[in-house]
Amino acid sequence: MKTQSLSGSDRYPVHDSTSRRGGYGLKPGLEYKKIKRTGLLPAFVCCGLLAAAFPVADMAVRSERYLSLPDSPVSILLHADWQMMSMLNVLLLVVAACILYHTEVSDNALLKMCSLPLKESSLFFSKILLLIPMLIFTLALEAAALGFCCWHWLSFSPEALTELAYSMGFSLLLLLPAALLSLLLACACKNMWISLGIGVVCIFTATMLPADNFLLSLFPYAMPFQILAGMQKETITGFSTAAALESLGLCAAEIIFLKIRRWSA
Amino acid sequence: MKTRLNNLDTDARQSRQTGRNINILSLVRVELRKTRRSGIQWILLAADIILWMPSILNAHLNFGMQAEGISPEHNFLIQGFMGMAWFMFPASMIVVTVLLTQTERSNHGILKMLALPVSTTRLCLAKFLVLLSLAGAQMLMSAGMYFVSAAIASHTRNYPFMLPPLFVLREAGLMYLAAVPMLAFFWLLSVCIQTPVFSVGMGLASIVPSVLIINTKLWLTYPMAYPFFVITAEYGKLATILETAQVELFPWIPVAIGITVVCLAASCLCFGRAERK
Repeated sequence: MKTQSLSGSDRYPVHDSTSRRGGYGLKPGLEYKKIKRTGLLPAFVCCGLLAAAFPVADMAVRSERYLSLPDSPVSILLHADWQMMSMLNVLLLVVAACILYHTEVSDNALLKMCSLPLKESSLFFSKILLLIPMLIFTLALEAAALGFCCWHWLSFSPEALTELAYSMGFSLLLLLPAALLSLLLACACKNMWISLGIGVVCIFTATMLPADNFLLSLFPYAMPFQILAGMQKETITGFSTAAALESLGLCAAEIIFLKIRRWSA
Repeated sequence: MKTRLNNLDTDARQSRQTGRNINILSLVRVELRKTRRSGIQWILLAADIILWMPSILNAHLNFGMQAEGISPEHNFLIQGFMGMAWFMFPASMIVVTVLLTQTERSNHGILKMLALPVSTTRLCLAKFLVLLSLAGAQMLMSAGMYFVSAAIASHTRNYPFMLPPLFVLREAGLMYLAAVPMLAFFWLLSVCIQTPVFSVGMGLASIVPSVLIINTKLWLTYPMAYPFFVITAEYGKLATILETAQVELFPWIPVAIGITVVCLAASCLCFGRAERK
């Protein structure tokens, strides 16, 4: 009985063969276990609720200012409140990225992770895979609040719902480069205050950039502030391609960075 | 190096002799020495450089402010300081609080500090004084960068943007004084909340609504809005046509002092409590 349980794979779980050979074993589930006690999940919920409170409070206080506007309800709401909401999203993103790597660095856990038969970059990609569902959840909370505002104060129609869904999808796509860059910075800096400080300075830079310059608004931290409603078709494709390209570029940069760090260490 | 070690040694000997009465200034000196190699000064400097860059590039916009009735050189200064008071200064102060708490939590440095015959209240206050001095350093760097950028803008636009140094320092000093309750609040957050995501997240999230809050009566109870409110009030003073809410010293000063004292007292009570458990 004893020998059976020791030799059995239930006692010492053997992972799939790719990870033993050092492949890309992506384990967002394992990353989820690591963040259990960091309070990251409640933080995402709180941030989503806080950001969702902005349009509701705004409409509750001064709805008469928006009722006469000619645009679609979603566009009115986004133009009124999206700056604040996206600011909260990006701030949360930076903090979350810092915490995700801080848990690894704080007690030299990263060194142990590096000695496992795992590619270091798979850690990064697992973390981003964990971050994306949490971002989707936050955006869904915000979308629900915007939908509620449409229904309660402005007109509500199925078109508004699809417009809202498209806007949130677009926002998620534009958040990706910022998420990847924050994670890259958090991975690169051993001390949390350095990565947090660089992130804060970058967000501040994004708020200072002129809004009418297309090239400058492609800065990863400036993109989440864009609003889909009322945007030209070419601009939408421009932003989407730029976000996709930046994301791919940042993934490649992360892999190269880890290789160089490994070699030079 | 030798003399420094000797200094520390005499500090320690004095503290052993006098029990818990180590001089707070020497504690501040020790704490400042810990931050020396943290690299925080580069982040603060980078923030200040980025703050004034758009002002140099967009210096011509300062000439179109006739509607507000503010002179171009005053507008140049106030716009920069407003950008600083709204987001950059509070956010970088949160980064500094992270630095002050996290450097010692890694490798359990704080446990060693708490084991010394030093009163925890003094230790907490010494760290808060370091926060204040880093805030002052950032304010001074920002004022210094103002002079650099005003000189560059004066050169490129052929217009004297430079204001008298005393006036600039007075504005920076006002903003700094108004920021003290906010700093006390951030310090309370970072000392009392052990999970970093909440102490940092709450601090950063509390900055965002300050733009909305300065337009309401609630600003009085919201220390994160104080620096921005003071700078907006100064803007209203300098712009002859524009009217902004002015600072009324009577209810504000007692409330600000109250908030500072309560936050500091609470953080001194909380300091090291989690480690001592």
